[in-house]
Amino acid sequence: MDIDLEKINDITLVSLNGELTVDNTHRVREAFKKILLEKRPKVLIDFDKVPFVDSSGIALLIEIVKGFAKINGRACLCHVNKKIVAVFEITKVHKLFGIYDSHEDALRSF
Amino acid sequence: MALRMIMDESVGSQLNLVTGCVAGAVKKLEGLGLDEATLFNVKLCLHEALVNAVNHGNKSNRDLAVRVVIKADDHEIIIQVTDQGEGFDFSLIPDPTTEENIGKFHGRGIFLIQSTMDSVRFLDGGRTISMVKTFNKGM
Repeated sequence: MDIDLEKINDITLVSLNGELTVDNTHRVREAFKKILLEKRPKVLIDFDKVPFVDSSGIALLIEIVKGFAKINGRACLCHVNKKIVAVFEITKVHKLFGIYDSHEDALRSF
Repeated sequence: MALRMIMDESVGSQLNLVTGCVAGAVKKLEGLGLDEATLFNVKLCLHEALVNAVNHGNKSNRDLAVRVVIKADDHEIIIQVTDQGEGFDFSLIPDPTTEENIGKFHGRGIFLIQSTMDSVRFLDGGRTISMVKTFNKGM
């Protein structure tokens, strides 16, 4: 899993590249903890290069969304492939996430 | 058509071995002509079953193994994942989609399996999960 960070004004764009599974949730969690410590409460997570998510990855996303909400911020997702969206819908966690088709739509939502 | 063996493998009870085992199974399943969504769901269910077997079944005891048996014909895939733990009552797992559970960090693996496979059975006191996925070749 590669994790790229980019600052777009007051929003942090986090681009994940690889499968988000129990294998790498620790590394991804640490990356988001650093953003929280920097007190940058607005985060857009780009899923364009995430082909697969397991239940540990879903749990981590819930943890991230809750973590940023706690500091009056927000974390949302964009470019999520249809198969992953279907998994989110089965488990109903899509209700917890903001999911957008494009960067532009997601950035406008903040 | 008779079912043929796709995989019969034992995996150590370490989470870092799960991905490799699943990748090996997916490579073999790709030859069956499944559509992308079905292959994704089968991969997800095998992954979740293996993680459960390692974590909850064998409790990450490296002296214990998880056996994965996959058989298939042109219309269905049967996957059996067996751990060497003490067994588990899967009827006790709460529904993760209810209002009180939706934000919880655990408890979605078995639910995902039951939601995406066509048939799921727990055998041998919960040590074995047997999953069936039917498919239309070439769809």
